[in-house]
Amino acid sequence: MASSQTTSKKDDHKTATTENKPDQPQATAEQKPAALEEDDEFEDFPVDDWEAEDTEAANGGGGGEGTQHLWEESWDDDDTTDDFSTQLKEELKKVEASKKR
Amino acid sequence: MEFGPSFYHEFAEAWGKQDGYRLAPTLSPELSTEQLRTIYQSQNAHNVKNALKHGLQGSVAGVDRIDQVELQAWVEVYAAYWKATGVILDAWETSDGDSKELPWSKVYEAWTDLLNFLLRGYQNAGFEAWTIPCLYVVCKHLRIFAIKADAERNSNSASSLDDGAAANFQDDFDPETNKNQKLEDCARVLGRVFNVCHMDRAPIEESRKWASYYIANLLLKTYFRLNSASLSKHILNSLRAGRADMPPFSAFPKSQQVTFEYHQGVLAFLEENYAEAEEHLTAAWNQCHKAATRNKELILTYLIPCHLITNHTLPTEKLLEPYPRLQKLFLPLCRCIKRGELHKFDLALQEGEDEFVKRRIYLTLERGRDIALRNLLRKVFIARGFEDAKEGEKPVRRTRVPVAEFAAAISLGSQEKIDNDEVECLLANMIYKGHMKGYISRQHGIVVLSKSGAFPGTGV
Repeated sequence: MASSQTTSKKDDHKTATTENKPDQPQATAEQKPAALEEDDEFEDFPVDDWEAEDTEAANGGGGGEGTQHLWEESWDDDDTTDDFSTQLKEELKKVEASKKR
Repeated sequence: MEFGPSFYHEFAEAWGKQDGYRLAPTLSPELSTEQLRTIYQSQNAHNVKNALKHGLQGSVAGVDRIDQVELQAWVEVYAAYWKATGVILDAWETSDGDSKELPWSKVYEAWTDLLNFLLRGYQNAGFEAWTIPCLYVVCKHLRIFAIKADAERNSNSASSLDDGAAANFQDDFDPETNKNQKLEDCARVLGRVFNVCHMDRAPIEESRKWASYYIANLLLKTYFRLNSASLSKHILNSLRAGRADMPPFSAFPKSQQVTFEYHQGVLAFLEENYAEAEEHLTAAWNQCHKAATRNKELILTYLIPCHLITNHTLPTEKLLEPYPRLQKLFLPLCRCIKRGELHKFDLALQEGEDEFVKRRIYLTLERGRDIALRNLLRKVFIARGFEDAKEGEKPVRRTRVPVAEFAAAISLGSQEKIDNDEVECLLANMIYKGHMKGYISRQHGIVVLSKSGAFPGTGV
């Protein structure tokens, strides 16, 4: 919230100063809040309320049946052709071979 | 807006319609310096209350619901607002160089005065509940000013720590304890506002309880910034306790719902209640405005680690597509987890450590190592293939796996030899946590895995 506010305020003041009093030193004073903007505070929404159709859920990113494509299983499917799998298989063969000896 | 006819007209209009959202902007400090100057210069300290009284009285002459006590209370509120505009104007116009004066601290003080007058209006002068958006706008900016004042003081004392700070404080002066001085004060003030609203006993249609979530959100945001999650608990508890007398949660504006769910979710997350966290964060996600990218990104920052713990799922590339920051944060880890690349997982965790710690997700992500390990062991199991199939029967996987094979898999990549006791310990843990079904036969140096679902939930 702080960040969105300071940004809009800054813009306000920039227009105000550049248009009316270009030689006032306000531009520097306005730099101060910038340090606050790097934090990860939940922002104020530009509107107070919205319809269901404007929610994330209604736009493909939501709950119910729509979530399938957003989350996937954490294991690799069993198509084991990547480098790591190949390496692993070779390693396992070695172990097996040493057992048989 | 200057205290002239248009202001009084606006006041009367808002009043006539009982529209708090129309009234609230008359108390907003979000104005250009020009606008602030116009307001401030439209009155002088000597005359401001008189002028306001006449103006307001005239404007609401047709509105019979306002009595003298209430009117006088609004005069005090606007007079305090007028005073604050002068101080804010000063702050914007003070240059960086001579910041000894700490103009934003003065703004904070002036704005606190305004809030106190407003609060008094609710407590003593019968301000009605429809005007609570005024409270929103004033409280919201109190917090912003507090943050500015702290930043200003900190940068000031950093540059003049030798003279100023040392002279003003004793030897044991610790700059850290003072770092959030104004914000801490702000939290206390907002706590009072919360009580004034939440404890209102008026019937629900005209109750200040409607302000509970807005103010609670401001408070939670403030507590988060002050790093005191425990104080947040207190707010949640009193909301929970009063729920029976509250309007239903779904009756509040979505912006308030989403913000509240987010904070509830993060709090549960920090307490490692991942199921509860997931519930709240998912609710926040679903209701979130589709265009609020930054907020969606923040929700996912916690929802992704949650999913990893609760149901072991990972975000798809499609989900992360709009969020380059999240891709950078999570994709390397997710890839390692999927493939079971244990060593690379460790490296990726190390690589992102600073960022993960900063976002307070490190410990949760670390638990993803179990999933990476599970996937690795699963790969070993699958690589061993099937028993020789008997006529007419479904092929059965070879369920007796030498510990040595698991050991080889685990040390693959790191090149570090790992001894069998340690491997057995890891395996026992996997079995204990339910990631793997079977038992270890130490005598034979093998693991006997379950024929039905050796790795529950993963299809083998």
